[in-house]
Amino acid sequence: MQSAIELKQWPTARSVPSARFFVAIVVLCTVAAAVFASWLPLQVSIVTVFLFAGPHNWFELRYFLTRLPVRFGRSRNFFLTAFVGLGVLTLVYVSLPFVYNAGTWSEDAWSTIIATWNTALLVWLGLLVWLRSKQKTRANWAWLIPLGLALCSLNWLGPDFFSLSLVYIHPLIALWFLDRHLRRTRPAWSRAYRRCLCVLPLVVAGMIWQLSQTSSLADNNGLFWRITQHSGAEVLPQVSSHLLVSVHLFLEMLHYAVWIVALPLIGSTAMAKVWDVKTVPVAKHPKGFPRLIAGVLIVALVAVGVLWFGFSIDYATTRDIYFTVAIAHVLAEAPFLLRMM
Amino acid sequence: MRALLFACCVLFLCAVSVNADLAPSKPVDQKVSKPTQETKYLLHTSLEIATDAKAYEAKLQIPQSQLEHFRAALDHGPGNPPIVGGIALSSTRTIIAGLLMFLAVSVAGILIARASSFGRTQKTIAALVLFAVVIGAAAIITRGNAGPPGSYRWRNLPQSLAKGEATIGGVDIEVVPDDQISGRMRLIIPLKKQNTSGEE
Repeated sequence: MQSAIELKQWPTARSVPSARFFVAIVVLCTVAAAVFASWLPLQVSIVTVFLFAGPHNWFELRYFLTRLPVRFGRSRNFFLTAFVGLGVLTLVYVSLPFVYNAGTWSEDAWSTIIATWNTALLVWLGLLVWLRSKQKTRANWAWLIPLGLALCSLNWLGPDFFSLSLVYIHPLIALWFLDRHLRRTRPAWSRAYRRCLCVLPLVVAGMIWQLSQTSSLADNNGLFWRITQHSGAEVLPQVSSHLLVSVHLFLEMLHYAVWIVALPLIGSTAMAKVWDVKTVPVAKHPKGFPRLIAGVLIVALVAVGVLWFGFSIDYATTRDIYFTVAIAHVLAEAPFLLRMM
Repeated sequence: MRALLFACCVLFLCAVSVNADLAPSKPVDQKVSKPTQETKYLLHTSLEIATDAKAYEAKLQIPQSQLEHFRAALDHGPGNPPIVGGIALSSTRTIIAGLLMFLAVSVAGILIARASSFGRTQKTIAALVLFAVVIGAAAIITRGNAGPPGSYRWRNLPQSLAKGEATIGGVDIEVVPDDQISGRMRLIIPLKKQNTSGEE
């Protein structure tokens, strides 16, 4: 009997790596990302965005599709708010550069426009939280109201700083997704993963310690200038742009690693067989939409190819367009993360 | 009702404290210079004025890191403020931010007061922490001159110079058009006239 149990358990034990192996991989990847990001920030940033920006969006889209219910049911208002807000906020964000070029704006007026968009984002998030809290009657999310109001207040005091904080916080959301996913699929790894997360502030602190006194990066060409500006060199002129670009790149690398490697490999079989549309519940269900889902994924795959082509032809312009349009995937993370809580 | 009154009191106290301690306009000696819009405020740092009996020439020593900060601030463009200076320079935005902060503090106060899981002591501690955080954040954000004014550190400069001792205080670095200060560097020390008894 004992041998029968052992035989039954043996293949599982062999196929699933231990938590120690998982921790070792996570720590190794974190340290490696920090080293590369600190060593050659601009060059590694160019290569990283070129290779992984598009694919990570594709994996993210596929992940969101797997989390989408076939029928919205009681969550109808939640998803309606999510999609309408996502569309409107993205459209407004994408139109901002055109608005800026269309007229002459004072610094104060432009800051007010940015603060207004940020406030709309916070209001949308607040609405989603409220709708979600109605479904989670046991959870007390009332403390999020003063928090949201305080964030709105800080946003109006320094809209540029608020926008910059989104640039740095967004990569960390992927780590939150992974945490929620591990709790569902591999609870045994969840505690180990959370311990690994404690390494993250230490690594960032180490990077700040090492790079805070370095001279700023030479941003004498358009591309390097764009990269340093994206990391906040203009908003924080006193901080070395080497430090800013390195820390941002480090977080971006972790973000890409989670979406492209960690979630598909660690997650369920639905995420492992990325090529199989039938593993997506919305496509698999008898009342689902297999053709629509397949079409969306194929179009997204073509978009990744177009993005690579664009990067090859004109990297700087494509990068600008990508990071403007990519606000959609930043926003899309919010409702799906809330659904996992 | 009690909770609402409590929240209003907290807000009222915050508003009074912050408004009373708003950062004053740039202290400029009207007799010495009249800065125009072309004057660029670069950053705030510290300055040590020391005497050296062996030196034959006055020296201005600038740390390498500070020089890089100056360069960064200059490269950044005209009139750009430092980190904290970029916050809430617009009155409209400050009013909206204040209103939202008022709502945030009020709601947080009410939630704390109504929380059944907190005891009276815990509620008091939470309220004090909230109060301290709000006052601290408001002081930093509004660049309130909490504590002694900058001139306080320079008050004993004449006596220190006479004794050959060093004096350290804060200094604002400004870049001024050449025609305003005749191409010379100028160090303006915020010293007030002292009476015979030595008191200000």
